[in-house]
Formats: sequence, C-alpha cells, structure tokens
Amino acid sequence: MTRALVAVLAAASAVILLALAGLLFGHSPIELLAILASGSIGSRFALEGTLLKSVPLLLTGLSVVIAFRAGVWNIGGEGQFLVGALAALLAARFGVLASLLAAMLAGAAWASIATAMRLWRNAPEVLTTILLNFTAIHLLGWCVNGPLRERAAQYPQTDLAAVALPAIGSIHAGVVLAIAMSVAAWWILYRTTEGLRLRATGFNPFAARWAGIRVNAQLARAMAMSGAVAGLAGGIELLGVTHRLFERFASGYGYSGIAVALLAQLHPLATIASAAFFGALVTGAGELQRTANISSAVATFGQAVVILVLIGFERVRASR
Amino acid sequence: MLHLAHVTKHFGTTRAVDDVSLTIRAGEIVAIAGENGAGKTTLMRIAAGELAADAGTLQREGRAELVHQHFLLVNELTIAENIAFARHAGFRFTTRRMLEREAEETIAASGIDLRGVSRRVGELSVGERSKLELIKAISRKPSTLILDEPTSVLTPTETEDLFRVMRRLASENTAVVFISHKLPEVLAIAERIIVMRGGRVVLESAANVSAETLANAMVASAGQPGNRETGQPRNGEILAILGVTGNGQRELATNLLDEQPTAAHIPEDRTRDGIVAQMTIAENLALKANRWRPCEAAQHAQRTIARYSIRASGPQQLAGSLSGGNQQKVILARELERRPDTIVASEPTRGLDIEATRFVHEQLRSAANAGAKILLITSDLDEAFALADAVQVIYRGKLSERMTPEEARTRVASLMAGVA
Repeated sequence: MTRALVAVLAAASAVILLALAGLLFGHSPIELLAILASGSIGSRFALEGTLLKSVPLLLTGLSVVIAFRAGVWNIGGEGQFLVGALAALLAARFGVLASLLAAMLAGAAWASIATAMRLWRNAPEVLTTILLNFTAIHLLGWCVNGPLRERAAQYPQTDLAAVALPAIGSIHAGVVLAIAMSVAAWWILYRTTEGLRLRATGFNPFAARWAGIRVNAQLARAMAMSGAVAGLAGGIELLGVTHRLFERFASGYGYSGIAVALLAQLHPLATIASAAFFGALVTGAGELQRTANISSAVATFGQAVVILVLIGFERVRASR
Repeated sequence: MLHLAHVTKHFGTTRAVDDVSLTIRAGEIVAIAGENGAGKTTLMRIAAGELAADAGTLQREGRAELVHQHFLLVNELTIAENIAFARHAGFRFTTRRMLEREAEETIAASGIDLRGVSRRVGELSVGERSKLELIKAISRKPSTLILDEPTSVLTPTETEDLFRVMRRLASENTAVVFISHKLPEVLAIAERIIVMRGGRVVLESAANVSAETLANAMVASAGQPGNRETGQPRNGEILAILGVTGNGQRELATNLLDEQPTAAHIPEDRTRDGIVAQMTIAENLALKANRWRPCEAAQHAQRTIARYSIRASGPQQLAGSLSGGNQQKVILARELERRPDTIVASEPTRGLDIEATRFVHEQLRSAANAGAKILLITSDLDEAFALADAVQVIYRGKLSERMTPEEARTRVASLMAGVA
C-alpha cells in the first residue's frame, strides 16, 4: 500500500514541478496544468493519443520489469525495440502474427547477445545492453539509407510495411496485446515456478544457487523474455502507428521504459497505470509545445523528476 | 550513559519491544539474554539510533555503536578499505599504502588479532569478518558498544580474547552491551544481566544469579538447557568436522555439494546463502520444489509453520523479517522435507537460542536415524560432541583421521590448534 502511495506521490510531484517550471517561461502553472490535462485526457482525440503513446511505454516498461526482477540491468530496451521493428518489417509479408513473432524473436536474440557476453567474459549488462542500443541505432540507419530504403529513394525511410495491425475503432489492436502481455508477465512472475525462481535469482543469487536454481540459465531466460517484450513493442509500433521505419523510429521508448518500470515499482500490473501516466505526460507535453510554445522535451524532465522522487523516497524508507 | 524509557516497537502486528525501560551506565558490561525473537536486537537497534521507536524516549550520551550479527561489510573491498570507510566519511586524498598503515594501527589499537589488511573481505572467514566488524566499531570510539551475538562464530580461545577486549573497553569507561543466549558466557562476562522474553524485560539482576534461573526466565516452557544426549552410532551417521572457522570448511562443503547437487544444504551464512529475505516464507519453502502453485504452497507453508513452530504472522510474512532462529527453521524445513540421503550442515546453530538449537539438533538426529548421511561442519565443540557419531578435525584445509567422540574429546583441542 505504501509503495503505491509513494508512486502516486512521485507522479504527482512530477506534474506539479512541471507546472511550476512553466513560471520560467512566463506561464501560470494553473494554465499549464490545464493544457497538460486537456492535451492528454481532455478530448477523445487526446485520449487516443495518450493511449497510442502508452502502448510502447507499457511494453518497454514490462521488459525492464522482467529483467530487473531477475536482477539484470537490461537498459537495452531501445535497441531491442529497434531490431524488433526491423524484424517485423522484414517478416510483414508473412502476415501480422508472423511479423510480431519475428519482432519478439529478434528482441530476444538482441538481448541474448548481452547474456552471451556476460557468460563468456563476465561483461556487465549495464554496459553491453547500452552499447547494443547504439549498434541497433546504426544498424537501422544503415538499413533505411541502404538496402531497405524506399523505392522512391527520396527520404531515408522504408516503404510501408506489407501488413498493419487490425484497428479497434481508431486505435490499433496493439493496446489489447500490450495489456494482455502485462497480465501474462504478472502471471509468469507471481504464479509460476519459473517466476518464483526468476525472482529468487534476482533478490539473492547466492541463496538461489544453493536452492538448486541454475542461476545462469535463469538469467539467460529472463533476459530473452525481457528482450522479446521490448522487440514486440517495436513490432507493434511499426505495424500499428508508423507503418514504416526511419532513423528516429524509437525516439527513446526503450529508455522511458525504465522510468515506467520504476514508477510501477517493478510490478507488471502497476506498469499499466504507470505507462498510461507517462503516455499522458508525453501527449500533454506535445500540446504544451503547440499551444504554449514550451518544448515537448519537458516530458523527459517529468520522467527524471519521477525517478529522482522515487529514489528520494527509497532513501527515506531505508533509513527508517 | 544510555537511558531508555517505556520504549515500544511494532512490526506489523507483532510487538517486538513492549514497554521496556533500562539504563546502561558508562564502564559497565551488561548482558542482554533471551531467545531468538525476544526483542533483544530490536531494542538495541533502537538504543543505537538505527530504528525509531513507536513510543518511549531515548537519552544517550556520546555515540552508540551496534555490531550486527550479520555483517555490514563491502565484500569487494579489502580489510583496510573497509576500515577506512568506517572511520572517514569525508573526501580526502590517500594511497593504498597509507590506508593499510592506518588500518594496521587501528587494528593494533583495538587489541584484536587480525592480519593481512590487503585481503578482500569476500575471502575472509566468518570469524575474521566478525573481528573486522568489531574493529570498525571500536575505531569510532563509541561511548556505548553493543555486540549482537558476537561469540556465535568464535572459538573458545577467540571468545576469551573478545572478553579481554570488552573488559579493557569497560575499564576505559565505555559501556559494553553483550547480546547473547549463551548462558555460561553471559555469566562469565557480565556485571549485570537483563533477560528479555516476548519483547519485555522479564529479569534484571546482578551477575551472581544462577544459570538455571536465567534459563527459566528465557524459556517459557522450562527446558533443560545443556543436557544433550551424546550421539550413538546408528544406521545413518553424523560425522562432525570440527575446526576453527576459516580452515577450509567452506571449500569442503562446496566440493561435496558440487559432487552431490541433490544433497540438502544448511549454509553457514543463512542470510546470504539460505534465505531470500525479500520473499515470503511460503516462497522460500518452495524454492527447491519442482512445481510451485501459490495456493498449495501457502497451505503447505501454514502446516510447516505449525510443525516447526516458526514464529510468524503467517505464510505471507517476508522471510527477512523473521528472527535468525526462525529463518533457520525455514531453511531446515525446506532442506529436510524432501528426505535427502545426504545433508551438509554448516554451523547450523550459529546464533540460535537454546530452544532453536535443540530443535535443529533433533531434526538432524532424526534425519540420521532415518538413514541420512550427515556432514556436520561446526566450530562448536558442544554441538559436535552432542550430535556426532564420528569426529574429524579440519586444520588449514587438512582433515584429521576419524575418531570416535570419546577419542576426540582428549585430542580435539590440540588438533584444532594444529599442534598435534
């Protein structure tokens, strides 16, 4: 209960600080809050925007939750997201399901490179996953400028994907998929033997080892699952929203997933609420840029505040 | 001087400390005795300022240092670096050589024997780590020094050394608080003895009290402490490996467990290797199961809690919030319920009270009776002689020949010291 309270307080402080920061630009905080609210949840159009932004955040957030629960610092969501989208594009002509499956496999494989480096040379995931992000970004850059460049050869982008996600009203079906994934993640983590062992490994690898858990295999599986979910996020974003790839395709969803997961206190179901909050923040920040001429980068500022407040609360709790 | 008045502390619905008042004066050695879970550690954490009480007041002159039963050391750093951490909080320039010289001076000043300051803490034995913790605490020149079960990993000689250090500190006007459930030690060192049970002070007396009175005050169900049956060879055997901590016991256990992955294991460092503190009792009990279903696991845990009389609010309590003895019961239940044919138990009663110790011994004994092979690695002579069918001594990684307990009694001291 207190954990939920801490999360709510962190989210609230982010919004309040964001509004106060508006004073620097000569806007009244109340006015800014009103714009944020109307731009994110104020209309059907705004709500849809929030929902669309929340889907990739929910999935990259889940990806982080799974890895962190196993004690692995997978901060490579960005790269896994990109290779997921790339694989989804290539497999699109075999249908939506095949395309999404390819996205998951690619994400898992990309994450597993970090695992392999851990097992062979004891390279820390914090470093390898972040480096793999840059590798993926350049891989995408090369693809959209080279072999996968659109036939018109006008912009550095690919042609439209062969298939698209079915729509529910004006929203793509990825929403349902993402929520189903978080329920599935919850079920795996808290209702299966695999989840029990994964969490034990994350909390105390020594005790896990002595209890007969094969810690390395456990970490490898957790990392693969984590990568698969991030890859799926990329696939859904491609088939549901952008329909084509371009250089700035990921635009930070992988990194934002860390904030989403931390705000959700690493709980898969809470991640739904957390992703919705950040989705609203990003969408509302877009409205701020349009109407108040404040850079939408304030959304990133909001994420940072959330993390800092969470760390602060954690310290207070630890010292009590 | 340390003065606590009407201090109360709850953890959830459990009343860990219940309206306790006590005064500890400069220069005196006070023992706080009681079973695991009696509230000794919680009370002293409040006294040291680590925990806030729910009610009551705390007055303290000078610094109070609490040396924990569980180590608060950075395993990746050396002894010298850990000592430097404890002594200097601020920023400064230094060299490895300087840190090591300072550490050696600090150790010398503390009067405790610990060599090789450039060794990493992760390589140290449990006995050495406890010495390092003590050195750290003394180096901060506390006016009150609180030691939580300091002797549980020490040999009799090391315990004597510790007592000498305690007496010297007291003569230098430090108040020394000694948390323990080992009555002979309590009687040997303390000037005043406070017995706690169920979060309350049930007895406060000068040191001329009898062990029996103390034991009765500690254990509500009057048991017979110290009256342990000597092991008889039966179908299964308990082989005790006796030795001073840090003579290769850990390697011995690890090798054996690597050869026999199905063996049950009761690890020496239970908070590190035995329990997942952030998970519930039910989950900890299920870690070795082939298949886990939350509902079944909870029911199973409920039965285990009753059968092992684990003091807990229920299967969903976090294992980390249990007292040491109850954590050990959880480990024991998990390891023994699958009727393993081999059991490796390392210091299985380290830090446990009389009742929990007796319980662990009974469990090991009955497992042996059921035919299990048991390797009991211990530095506790009483434990070895109470349980073992055969004894071997380990010294610097080498095992002595097998002896019967009778043979061992006369030879064990010199073998453990490496002079035989």
